[in-house]
Amino acid sequence: MYSISDQQIAFILNDIRRNGVEMEDLQSNLLDHICCIIENQLEENGDFEQFYYQTVCTFYIKNLSEIEEETKALLNNKYYYTMKKIMFVSGSVSASLISIGILFKFMHWPGAGMLIVLGTVLFSLLFLPMLFTIKSKEKQNLKDKIILGTGSFIAILISLAILFKIMHWPGANMMGVISLLTMILLYIPLYFFSGIKNQDSKANTIITSILMVAGCGLFMALARAPYASRIMSIKDTGNYLRMEQIYQAEKKQVDNLKVSVVQKKEVASTGDDIIRSCDALKSDILEWQTGFKTVDQDFERKNALIVDGWVRIYFEDNESARQKLADLRKLVVKYNAGQNKADSNPVHAVPLDAIDFDSSEEKILCALNNLVQLQMIVLQNESASGMKR
Amino acid sequence: MYGYEITQTVKELTGGKIQLTEGALYPSLHALEAEGILITESEFIGKRMRKYYSLSPEGKTITKEKLSELADFMNTMKILLDLKTSI
Repeated sequence: MYSISDQQIAFILNDIRRNGVEMEDLQSNLLDHICCIIENQLEENGDFEQFYYQTVCTFYIKNLSEIEEETKALLNNKYYYTMKKIMFVSGSVSASLISIGILFKFMHWPGAGMLIVLGTVLFSLLFLPMLFTIKSKEKQNLKDKIILGTGSFIAILISLAILFKIMHWPGANMMGVISLLTMILLYIPLYFFSGIKNQDSKANTIITSILMVAGCGLFMALARAPYASRIMSIKDTGNYLRMEQIYQAEKKQVDNLKVSVVQKKEVASTGDDIIRSCDALKSDILEWQTGFKTVDQDFERKNALIVDGWVRIYFEDNESARQKLADLRKLVVKYNAGQNKADSNPVHAVPLDAIDFDSSEEKILCALNNLVQLQMIVLQNESASGMKR
Repeated sequence: MYGYEITQTVKELTGGKIQLTEGALYPSLHALEAEGILITESEFIGKRMRKYYSLSPEGKTITKEKLSELADFMNTMKILLDLKTSI
């Protein structure tokens, strides 16, 4: 049995370090291992150095640092499996959350928004990044990694854009446009030209590229172009203008009638208040939308258009507007009560739920038309009671 | 057991048929330690340190599971291949 001196131990440790083994744990393990072999197999007066080099040669194929590389690969592998597990779990959870959320949304059950937001956030901010990290480890060259990175980025952006769109959050359109443009101008060409060079992946690349182009096209077909939006706004504004003109004509007739017949004072005054209140609200909403208090024949040239949107937004952070709406509601309640007392048939009650603009999903055009309809109902009631006399 | 001891024991038990190489042994030992399957104790032998490896409680249950999985698998293979061996 050979006995190793401290000097020789230092020599071995040095050699291990010099050969690229950096992990201390591994260094001491190898040192002890080599010492054991030397102690057990070298004769007492054998050549230490020669035997050492012979032994250490059997540890590797090219280089001693192979052992360290292998160790590191195995240690990383552990995270690899955990990450794969997280990816599968987050993927399946987000997919089911989104599906259940969409079912809830279709059925108008409460909680749909939360389910969809949770599912999409999980999908785009956990599942997709995980997928990217795991897949990029499998790719060897930088180009493939870049393509994969761009693809993941676009996928994240598209899913977030759709989430923002359905939740009516700001910035959705911007995100959608950016993601689609990068996809069409950058990702698809990169993917196509890198994949088509490789004989094995040629057919697959062509098919996938066609699918992506068609998908983008269909997605774009869903979006409304600015030009189409303008046409729609012109139609909407025209619709309101006609409504307003019909109302004005009716008002003139009733006013003429009023002059000749003495009205029942009480009901008439509440009716007048409703008409005035509606007028005020109409002009407020119009001013918010078009910049003008009224709509006239020239609206298209002046670009004074009513845009497709929710009227609720106007009332959201406008205390005085909400107050005006509340006052109108009170007037309507009072008017309806007065009408009942007056029992002058045939009169219509003014519908109260047609003006809950601050809480319902009412479009701007619908809200304006509802206000006009309210006024016309009041006018009809007045003219009906006027005829009776 | 420490690294050298493991290689010698395996060699002895298999009559020299299986010889663990250092390049396979130490990476696996480190990975298993990181996963918590193995626990270690260090001891100084003169100027050098020796690391003794043993199964952690978790490692023991995992070993049992893996062994029964292996036995299962071997049984299945035996049925599949319809081996007429006399072990």
